[in-house]
Amino acid sequence: MNAILELHNLHKTFKDFWRRPVVEAVKGLNLTINAGEVYGLLGPNGSGKSTTLKMILGLLHPTSGSIRMLGATPTDVAVKARIGYLPEVSHLHAFLTPRETLHYYASLFGLPTAVAAQRTNELLEMVGLTHAADRAVGRFSKGMARRVGVAQALINAPELLILDEPTSGLDPIGCREMKDLVHLLAKNGVTVLMTSHLLADVEDVCDRVAILDRGSLRAEGPIHELLRNPEVIRFSLEGLSSEEASRLREQLEVLAKRTVHQDYPAMSLEAFFLNVVNSGSAEKPFAIAPYLNSEKPPA
Amino acid sequence: MRTLRQIFGVTLVTLRALVRTKTVPALTLLLLLCVTLLPRLITGDGTPAGAFKILLTYTLGFAFGVLCLVTLIAACGLFAAEIDSTRIHLTVVKPLTTFQLWLGKWLALVLLAVTLLAGVYALVYVQITLSMRQPAWQEQVTLVSRHVVHPTLPSPQEEARRVYDEMKRHSALPTNRTERQILGTLAARAHDRYDVINPGESLKWPFTFAQPLATNSIVTVRIRFDTEYSTRSKVVGGCRLATTAQPNEGVEVELNDLTQNEIEFDVDLRAFNGIAPTGFELAFQHRGDPDKSSGLMVRPRQDVVLLTTATSFEANLVRALIVQGSILALLAAFGLMLGACFSLPVALFAALILLVVVQIGDVVVEITSDEDKELVSNRIGLWVSEGATTLTAHADAGAPLAALAHGEVIGTERIAQSLFWNGGLTPLLFALVSAWILRRRELAND
Repeated sequence: MNAILELHNLHKTFKDFWRRPVVEAVKGLNLTINAGEVYGLLGPNGSGKSTTLKMILGLLHPTSGSIRMLGATPTDVAVKARIGYLPEVSHLHAFLTPRETLHYYASLFGLPTAVAAQRTNELLEMVGLTHAADRAVGRFSKGMARRVGVAQALINAPELLILDEPTSGLDPIGCREMKDLVHLLAKNGVTVLMTSHLLADVEDVCDRVAILDRGSLRAEGPIHELLRNPEVIRFSLEGLSSEEASRLREQLEVLAKRTVHQDYPAMSLEAFFLNVVNSGSAEKPFAIAPYLNSEKPPA
Repeated sequence: MRTLRQIFGVTLVTLRALVRTKTVPALTLLLLLCVTLLPRLITGDGTPAGAFKILLTYTLGFAFGVLCLVTLIAACGLFAAEIDSTRIHLTVVKPLTTFQLWLGKWLALVLLAVTLLAGVYALVYVQITLSMRQPAWQEQVTLVSRHVVHPTLPSPQEEARRVYDEMKRHSALPTNRTERQILGTLAARAHDRYDVINPGESLKWPFTFAQPLATNSIVTVRIRFDTEYSTRSKVVGGCRLATTAQPNEGVEVELNDLTQNEIEFDVDLRAFNGIAPTGFELAFQHRGDPDKSSGLMVRPRQDVVLLTTATSFEANLVRALIVQGSILALLAAFGLMLGACFSLPVALFAALILLVVVQIGDVVVEITSDEDKELVSNRIGLWVSEGATTLTAHADAGAPLAALAHGEVIGTERIAQSLFWNGGLTPLLFALVSAWILRRRELAND
């Protein structure tokens, strides 16, 4: 596997004005994230996940340990051209319009004007802000500002996308679109590292997760392995009547010599909500910006 | 190309921030009020010549002061506020260096400040041009810019050395000071030294021009002086300007009104019979009654000058704009550096304190006696003042305006010096320090 991000024995201790240690936020963290993975960093408040993310981005300096990202250190300017970042709170320039905002961030990547303009249009279309492209961001709702934040994180077609609480401030439809986007980006070879408090979101999109608590790594691995309960086996059958189901359960109990539980699987509230909201509407499926799509349509 | 795109991207967004957050509209209004109202509030002596000087010194000076303060405050805020609000996170994770980021912001500030300053200059020029339609203004005000030539005298350092050697010969040197200190004091005294011309006496000053003057050009003689206030109306005299080639054939001017502490008159070089001179000798003779009038005190290195036409008033206005624009560039760089180092309140406090230190630094250095230096705290204060004065030696904000008002050309050397130090080298130093600090500094909290 090709490692995109490696954290080795990472420590971070915050100090006061007199350089006295105040809190050890990260304690000896070791992580490896491979190319094309969607990796979730989980943990309660104060667990050190934001601090870890900020060290990966070069906004904080590790007290000890090392970070290798795309073969370089986080402070390497060249490597920053290959990263996209969506902060938890998108402190965008309130006086700029989404179009100007995207042009600005495109200029920071040194993109030629024509490329910047094309990507801006595609991203505005993708995040559904074409109608508000020339209104000041300062007047946007939190959700709309978040969409601008997402668009700026993708302006450079990043290889590694770092998302800090990506669904924060989004409505259920926005959350779904964000998750669809992460799926589509991963499908197109983008590595995604995300933190979230919403475990359902992480469960939906992540291949692997790490759980931090008080600065230490408590669990790490592929999500299906972590969540699997090998003690229980579930069979799913469709189209059985209740009489047939009762008979089947009785036969299974005889065969297995154990009590067999029978229930009806419920859909998630999110899926139910989206069904209700989208029923009857001709909602287009979420589509990724063409320049981010590595699978080119046939000529 | 990519680097330039990144820098100009930052410049453009900074300009938009300043314009759209009402900073610029408010400042423009304030400057407009300054330029239009100030000449009506400060009328000076009521003469067109006085009004002209007030427009060029007080009005331009005040507007420039406002711009300096606003530039400094805005510069402190550009980094400090972005760091405090964490908005900078989205910028520093992009592939541009902290130096590029600094440069982009600095360019935006300089561009804006210089544009506003140019607007102020344009408004002042329009006012002068409109006033020049009045006959009284045409009579008293001449829109010129002239070269200033001082008498050919030994330099203050040479004179200091001569006096030092003489004092040494007479064993009159102070024992508690070093040779360097004594020479420094003597050189300062030589620069400010007064010659006294008592009634019945006369004094001559030689002048040398690098190039021969045109035979049909005009040379203006200007002498400033001090005399006893109560007897100044009794002072009369005569001036004589001759070429060194023909010292006996000169132009004589009778001076019967010496009440203004300044005399100025033009000499047409056609009077020298077609000779293109490079050397002159100016003589002043005090013809006042010894019983009724006092002597004249003249500082030869500062008060006696010959003036020749250099360039147009408009060109000199542009020269002053360049010098003051470069000072704004220096302030912008300084503010940005403070903003990169500290939070906004601390940066603003430090900026204003250092501005005061720079303003009073040379006075502090001058009035500090040897006894004062015995206290450690005084010595520290003196070092800070000396450091601030040395660092800002090329940022003498008042000088170009005084030159404009007196019709003296702002020399190309002065402009080059100002651009090099204030607009180039010092900002570059501040940029490197800021970039290093921004790289070292943790831009996020827990």
